[in-house]
Amino acid sequence: MATKKFGIVLDAKKCLNCKACTVACKFENTIHPGEDDYRIWVTELELKGTYPNISQEYQPSQCQHCENTPCASVCPTKATYKSPEGVVLIDYDKCILCKACMTACPYDARYENVHLHAIDKCTFCYQRQPEGREPACVETCPTRVRVFGDLNDPESEASKLLARNHTYQLKPERNTRPRLHYIK
Amino acid sequence: MAAHTENHGKSFLKSLIVNNKDIPAMPFIILGLILCAVGGFAVISVFVKGHHEAYGVTRQVPWGLLISSYAYFVIISTGIAFIGGLGHAFGYEKYAKISKRIVVLATIVLLAGFTQILMEIGNPLRMVYMMISPNFKAPIFWMGMFYGIELVILAFELYLIFKPNQTEADHKLAAVAGFLALLVGVLATSNLGYVFGSLNAREWYHGIYFSTFLVVSGVTAGAALLILVHTIVYKGSLPAELKPSMVSLGKLMGGGIGVMMFLYLWKMLSSIFTEPGDAYMSVMSLINGPLSFNFWIGEMLLAVILPLALIVTAKGSIKKLSMAGFIFLIGLFFTRFDFVVAGQLPPMRKGLAGSGVITDVAGFAFYSPSMLEWLVYMFGFGVFFLLYFSAEKFLNLETESHH
Ligand code: SF4
Ligand code: SF4
Ligand code: SF4
Repeated sequence: MATKKFGIVLDAKKCLNCKACTVACKFENTIHPGEDDYRIWVTELELKGTYPNISQEYQPSQCQHCENTPCASVCPTKATYKSPEGVVLIDYDKCILCKACMTACPYDARYENVHLHAIDKCTFCYQRQPEGREPACVETCPTRVRVFGDLNDPESEASKLLARNHTYQLKPERNTRPRLHYIK
Repeated sequence: MAAHTENHGKSFLKSLIVNNKDIPAMPFIILGLILCAVGGFAVISVFVKGHHEAYGVTRQVPWGLLISSYAYFVIISTGIAFIGGLGHAFGYEKYAKISKRIVVLATIVLLAGFTQILMEIGNPLRMVYMMISPNFKAPIFWMGMFYGIELVILAFELYLIFKPNQTEADHKLAAVAGFLALLVGVLATSNLGYVFGSLNAREWYHGIYFSTFLVVSGVTAGAALLILVHTIVYKGSLPAELKPSMVSLGKLMGGGIGVMMFLYLWKMLSSIFTEPGDAYMSVMSLINGPLSFNFWIGEMLLAVILPLALIVTAKGSIKKLSMAGFIFLIGLFFTRFDFVVAGQLPPMRKGLAGSGVITDVAGFAFYSPSMLEWLVYMFGFGVFFLLYFSAEKFLNLETESHH
């Protein structure tokens, strides 16, 4: 059996900017208050068109779990590593807080977790894996913007969405090969 | 036998201690003590408050003043070691004449740099994992290696220069050590350029430019500090046999600034033509953005124009050369600060609502150092003044002639 390859396919057009995902993430992962402390975000993109024909789109995002992983290559202690499913994780005990990974990440996905005294970021709620549960942001979204799954399994809903739609990735010019795919 | 070696060891140490009454070291030692006291208070505050609270760095600009001050010190140190290598290993007599001061100065400036990185890194104790599970791909791993090895080489050189009854074999060893200090120093500093150059997200640092620029500006700074220190130690009237050394260091400094100007020109011009990329934003932050005062007054006026003008018109005047060195070393702070910060001012996401990113109208992220960051920087200077001028006061740093 081929190894699993976790990823998320997002249909941002469905996003209501309700921020339920960001709240669910904070609860699931005990994220403390603080301006810089967040794992996921929902950006209100610039308005398109001219009045009265205006449209507004939102862009929910988080760590892209890059296949080419700039944050891991610069980490001197291998605190940043990849799980067998390609989820980019941090071994908090090994993190020296040099912040090289923060400066290397093209998506500004990392922050300093003061309580863990280490760098932190989205883990696809890896702690839920043993139970087979989806990440909190995926589970909580009222319009199912995010679909999480094994991109190596052609039968997974995520793979099917990826096959059926034209998709794009953020900052492809950085050659990071993100595991987040946005439906066009 | 053991007692004999112990006695021997004691008398060796004793023989090193002198009391140099002529050297105006006391004011600098006192300055060092004051800065260490104030800085020490800052260090304790940082541990009490935690780095996150104490420092002004943010999610968008994670590297700030203390990375700049670390770079400031360690690159000066390797620059001095470079000059020492020219003297020791390549037989450049004018630099060999001041080799004792070179080794002591390089070591102490390196230690001052280490105080900065230790205060910058949030969990220095966990650095053991750089040994337990090293990532050989990570430039920071190599940074630790190279600067660590540089310290060991300098310590060995210190032993050699203070060893009584030097033999021909010692001189040969010193030449090898001097060469290694030069080589590892250049590797360490150019690798520091690579620590930045390897950051996928930050275009400003990509390419060979910074690795080259840091080495060149480091040697320039090393020459500047050596001239300045000699002028202080001899209260402005140098012995005739050292004057040619200073004049030569002045030339080295002038040449260094010349190469820096050349590098600046092409880096700035080529970055301007990368519009609308991040390197363009970085160069604009310097020319006409949040760092423009630093750039024009600090980097250009203090680290290039004024020292160069002084050197060109010095005509052998050591006073003018030391003034050039002094101004250059102030300007160099801005050079290092701008280098570190400019690359991080272009944000990774636009500062739109909900993005979590805050930017100014021109789209730049913000960073201004906190008071505690400044004080930790002062601690680095305190360590330098205290250790170096104590060495001047209590050790004999005059280099005896080899021949
Ligand atoms: S929960 Fe879903 S709809 Fe709400 S902000 Fe997040 S992605 Fe958008
Ligand atoms: S998005 Fe950033 S933190 Fe996440 S894997 Fe990519 S480089 Fe690393
Ligand atoms: S801050 Fe921690 S996770 Fe990031 S590169 Fe340094 S050691 Fe690795």
